[in-house]
Amino acid sequence: MPENISIRIDGEYVAAQEGQTILEVARAGGKYIPTLCWLAGTSSVGACRLCIVEVSGVGRLLPACTTPVQDGMSVTTTSEKLTQYRRIAIEFLFSERNHVCAVCVSNNHCELQAMAQKLGVTSVRYPYAYPKLGVDVSHPRYVLDHNRCILCTRCVRVCTEVEGAHVWDVSGRGIRSMIVCDMNRPWAQASSCTNCGKCVQVCPTGALAEKGFAVDEMVKQDHNMTRLTARRGGHS
Amino acid sequence: MKKVRLATVWLDGCSGCHMSLLDIDEAILAIAKRVDVVYGPLVDAQEFPKAVDVTLIEGAVSSQDDLEKVHTIRRWSKLVVALGDCAVTGNVPSMRNSHPARKMLERIYVEGVQTNRGVPVDGVPALLRQAVPVHEVIKVDLHIPGCPPAPASIAYALGELLEGRMPDLASKVKFG
Amino acid sequence: MTRIQDFGSFNAVREAGMGKLLPARPRIGVGMGTCGKGNGAEGVYHAFAEAISQQGRDVRLASVGCFGFCAQEPLVNVRIPGRPLVILRRVQASDVPRILDDLAAGSITEGLALCKIEEWDHLTARIVYGQGYPNIPSWQSIPFFKPQKKIVLRNCGLISPDDIEEYIAIGGYQALYKVLIDANPEVVIEQIKAAKLRGRGGAGFLTGLKWEFLRKAVSDEKYVVCNADEGDPGAYMNRNEIESDPHSLLEGMIIGAYVMGAAEGIVYIRAEYPLAVHRLTRAIEQARQSGILGDNCLGRGFRFDIRLVEGAGAFVCGEETALIASLEGYAGRPRPRPPFPAQKGLYDKPTNINNVETWYNIAPIVSKGPAWFSEIGSTKSAGTKVFSLVGKINNTGLVEMPLGTPLKTFIYDVGEGCGDGKHVKAVQTGGPSGGCIPQEMFDTPVDYETLAQLGSIMGSGGMVVMDEDNCMVDVSRYFIEFTHSESCGKCIPCRVGLDKSLRILNAFTRGRATEADLDRLDEMGRMIRDTSLCGLGQTAPNPLLTTMRHFRHEFLDHIRAKRCRAGVCDDLALSPCENSCPLHMNIPRFLQLYKEGRIEDAFEAVVMDNPLPGSTGRVCQHPCDNRCRRRTLDSAVNMREVHRTIADSIYQTDRFDALAARIVARKLPPTERKVAVVGGGPTGLAAAFYLALLGHEVTVYESNPEPGGMLRYALPEYRLPRAVIRSEVELIRRLGVEFQCGVAVGTDITLNDLDNQYNAVFLAIGTWKEAWVYLPGTELKGVIPALLFLEAVAKEEPVRLGRKVAIIGGGNAAIDSARTALRMGAEVTVIYRRERKDMPAIREETDAAEEEGAKFFFLATPHRIVGDEEGNVKGMEVVKTRLGEFDSSGRRRPVPTEEIRRLECDTVILAVGETVDQDFLRASGLRIKENGTLEVDRYTMETSRSKFYAGGDLISGASNVSNAMGYGKKAARKMDQRLMGTYRWDKIDPSFVYSNAPPGEPSTSQRHNLEELPARERVESFAETMISLSDEETLDEASRCLRCDVKDHH
Repeated sequence: MPENISIRIDGEYVAAQEGQTILEVARAGGKYIPTLCWLAGTSSVGACRLCIVEVSGVGRLLPACTTPVQDGMSVTTTSEKLTQYRRIAIEFLFSERNHVCAVCVSNNHCELQAMAQKLGVTSVRYPYAYPKLGVDVSHPRYVLDHNRCILCTRCVRVCTEVEGAHVWDVSGRGIRSMIVCDMNRPWAQASSCTNCGKCVQVCPTGALAEKGFAVDEMVKQDHNMTRLTARRGGHS
Repeated sequence: MKKVRLATVWLDGCSGCHMSLLDIDEAILAIAKRVDVVYGPLVDAQEFPKAVDVTLIEGAVSSQDDLEKVHTIRRWSKLVVALGDCAVTGNVPSMRNSHPARKMLERIYVEGVQTNRGVPVDGVPALLRQAVPVHEVIKVDLHIPGCPPAPASIAYALGELLEGRMPDLASKVKFG
Repeated sequence: MTRIQDFGSFNAVREAGMGKLLPARPRIGVGMGTCGKGNGAEGVYHAFAEAISQQGRDVRLASVGCFGFCAQEPLVNVRIPGRPLVILRRVQASDVPRILDDLAAGSITEGLALCKIEEWDHLTARIVYGQGYPNIPSWQSIPFFKPQKKIVLRNCGLISPDDIEEYIAIGGYQALYKVLIDANPEVVIEQIKAAKLRGRGGAGFLTGLKWEFLRKAVSDEKYVVCNADEGDPGAYMNRNEIESDPHSLLEGMIIGAYVMGAAEGIVYIRAEYPLAVHRLTRAIEQARQSGILGDNCLGRGFRFDIRLVEGAGAFVCGEETALIASLEGYAGRPRPRPPFPAQKGLYDKPTNINNVETWYNIAPIVSKGPAWFSEIGSTKSAGTKVFSLVGKINNTGLVEMPLGTPLKTFIYDVGEGCGDGKHVKAVQTGGPSGGCIPQEMFDTPVDYETLAQLGSIMGSGGMVVMDEDNCMVDVSRYFIEFTHSESCGKCIPCRVGLDKSLRILNAFTRGRATEADLDRLDEMGRMIRDTSLCGLGQTAPNPLLTTMRHFRHEFLDHIRAKRCRAGVCDDLALSPCENSCPLHMNIPRFLQLYKEGRIEDAFEAVVMDNPLPGSTGRVCQHPCDNRCRRRTLDSAVNMREVHRTIADSIYQTDRFDALAARIVARKLPPTERKVAVVGGGPTGLAAAFYLALLGHEVTVYESNPEPGGMLRYALPEYRLPRAVIRSEVELIRRLGVEFQCGVAVGTDITLNDLDNQYNAVFLAIGTWKEAWVYLPGTELKGVIPALLFLEAVAKEEPVRLGRKVAIIGGGNAAIDSARTALRMGAEVTVIYRRERKDMPAIREETDAAEEEGAKFFFLATPHRIVGDEEGNVKGMEVVKTRLGEFDSSGRRRPVPTEEIRRLECDTVILAVGETVDQDFLRASGLRIKENGTLEVDRYTMETSRSKFYAGGDLISGASNVSNAMGYGKKAARKMDQRLMGTYRWDKIDPSFVYSNAPPGEPSTSQRHNLEELPARERVESFAETMISLSDEETLDEASRCLRCDVKDHH
């Protein structure tokens, strides 16, 4: 049995168990910490850095999604610096690829868009990159638009860890990183794909979407995921 | 009380932001009483005036003409407001940016038509290499994103500006 | 190969090795590291091998590793039995017969000798080579080696890396043997902890502690890993260590594995290091065959083996979690810690990862004890670190220094500064993850904590030295470009942030950045540093943040002046010569016009760029020479002489009137603005010329009877004939400039008067006050300040000059005074406190003074001036100095000794520096800087008083003619912009059509230097001493230009 411990989040005592992450404890205690790459039921990768928090006595900022709690730990989830850094991360994402909310299927149902609003981002101060990126429309039911991808790798993890198919992975590195299907083939030719659609439903933006929807219409059914992971009894 | 000199400008955009501005319902009456609209598509003024309190810019900076305009605007305006996603992010006009402007024009005016083929040159301002948000060219004092921005946001922002306060739009507005 | 099972077999191997290392016949060891091979060591080795076998010489030939002195490669060591080991440098195949012949005759080729080693402490054993060769310096007296302490590099370059027997001969594997026999792992871990050894990969975590974690981890399988994924640009110590001494690595790893309880070791090494891979593979095989690796290590029952994994060279794989991912076969992307590798590492098993160099420290610590180790270095950073000293430094190479050694020891003692009389500007430590440390901070001790405080890191130990030719914006752009392309892309800050930073830095190098970009870079840099997932991202902004902190002015130059002082950012300069010219003359243009035979156009082009070409053609310090790309072929184009010839072929000829009219015709219409220029020296004249061209009404106030300032009244006639400056002033007069000579501003007319009468005032008075020194005896008759002396001679006023003149100082005023005094028939001695190479005077002038008979007394500083009863100078006492520590100028500070010398003289000229007239400055009410110069905005040249501008020596302190004119030119541009509200400079920029085709083949002509009259003839009169180039020579010289102003714009 894991030991019961207590930590403080923004000054309040919260019950926790050894082995849990700061994020898990915060979520369970009703404390909000922003996340984008984190996905219940899959492993945490600590990639988006939105969940960084301050832990007293630690000089560095730590990602809540992968940092295990320790007895007596005191966590601060919001500060001027944290908000500034989180905003910058959002501005980075908006200027990295071509996010045009006004014409996106996920407009008003997009986690990136909502996060920008939540964090108070009203403009992007960094030069837009305007990369020339493709759209894979080969699959009969789904579409992958690289312009809208934020490389959170939720699709990769859900496909590998939940569906067990490992259709998706990341090719290249740095700013040239791309989500690829099988050995970089068009989606329709990915023999490993089971057409389960989990990747589409967990994608936070309009990068992965169902065909046949117009602007505003793509509402992700990610509650299925919650059910699924609960049934698996997996870590969430 | 001295009226606030307000200008509105329509660059590379669809005029939706101007529509949204007109769509602020009865608030427009209160605002109208306190401002002089000295320039913009809504009034008849040929040249940008030399003393403006607030200028609302709709649209991305897309052509040589736009470029010169925003510099003039900045020079003569106390406050510059980017109104709507095109002015704030580049939005739809910037979707051409991954492709060379020349190629795009040829695709439309040469490959895309059967008659009168040819990229128009006379009487139209030359396109810039890319359509960019206003703040990449000049200093912008306030951003009101949205496509179009909600009338309520515009009304709120104008109301605050008229009261001499810088509106805090964080979390009140969104892209798209 | 003998299998070692016990002491007997161990000692037998050791004896065999000793026989190879110290044979009873001469031994030659050729340094065959990658660097040696790159410099031709293989050819040398083969030449030796062939000669030895063909001639049947009784010589043992070995290939050894690298001794670390890259600048002297290829290195070869030779030893005759019983005598010292001698290291020969820059050995070529053609030297081989000579070396062998000398050896046969029982001697060493001393001409090639770098140093000798009489005995060597391998730390695990001491090797005595022998005594002898009094003419060859000991290795420890060579500046490059002197401050070094070789622990990690203890065997490099001395033993064969391919022979385990030689390694065992110098005490190798003894420490391991001891550990296995003692069979007490906890004690070893305590030793490593007590030694305070810290991880040499850069982060500096305590190695002993890390080992303890793994030892305590409970698991059926554990791994030890060596991180040999060295990927920093400019760092190559790990490569050299493995290439030169692979067994030390194995020994360290086996000891570590034994005490931590691991059965498998892995060396993760870059595939781009084929020689290191090859040698390490062979070492592992030999260790297996000798029974050191395998099931029963040294017969002590310990099972351990090591395998090699070649990494594809991704920089991020140096990060331990990414390295583990790569070992497991995944893409090299890091994951967050915890869990740490000691908990969950390779294949989820507890794993220890140490850097190559950390492993090299293990055997010495075990054999000499932790106390010995922790005594070396500083309190918190024990031991030594190997650094690769590269970049703009004379002695490049691998240097192993005790931690805590100040940076200046690296740069000036070991590295011996940078060449070409240039100044070191900064050092980048820690490669692309490190920071830039400016020259003012070279007192900094190099240890983990201090470097971190400065925003840098120890890193792998890369040390890239930069001089004035490095643009710091470009340097940070380079490092960000590197980390940008090496980022794995997993986390947002590193993936996108570095891309945005690079875009903005690119905008800087193109002159398109704004001040807001500077803040943006700073904010972004902090965000990337504080929020990135792994060490790559967390340290990637260091170069950017530190260069922005220490070299902010360079960033501002790129924004505000669109200028790259170092001339690196291509888009901001026409050509290197133009960029270095204080007047920004379009040098390639006048060279080309001259080449095309268009002398009048060339003259016009020159004058429009520089209104005093006759003067600068003679006395400019010609910084353009230092930057000319032709130097990479032979030597710089003599640009100064070409523009002198162009000037001379118009001034003082009948063509002058016509050409002057052409210049006057370029005048813009009158602006009805009135400008006063205070001071008729080069700064004032340049400003007046351009202001008049721009259409303003200009009046120059000059306190002397004639304009020209220092050109007229300080430079001696033999360097710059008065006639030249007079015709140049005449041209300026024709532009409508009014000269009010004999009027002193401050006394005859006040600043307030000028304020009332003019739209703008430009202050350009020079540094006419001689700095005074406190020296007993300066009140005596016969002591003269240099400027007063030169001025009196120039004005043809009577000067009381004795027969024997002592001149104190080493600048141009000292040399001008010396040569003037010689022409007046005196005997001259120049006393200077440093060495000749440190003199600020133009070198050619110093040489000329010496030829003319001046004596120099270096390393001496005046003690007192001795007078006779009538109060006349009769002699001087000087104190000899010696050179002490390096000061902030990168020169050694002279320290007085006890030794006093006396010399006879009847005149003392003080030339210890000139300063601005402080009385004038204080009376002006303008803001003054701490150093006594006037404060101006360096971009607009505005003083603290509106309408008042300033330039030249007044703001910079004493400088030279071209710098002074550069200020005048810039001030005119800025004043016009302010007066007219618009930028009009382009309107007076002349355009000429000329060929823009670079020469297909560079001209074969050599540089034409000026001839000087014979010294004996020169001192007879004040006539000009330099004989100018003939027209034909000038044409030849102009044709040597490579036209690097022509850029390919595709």
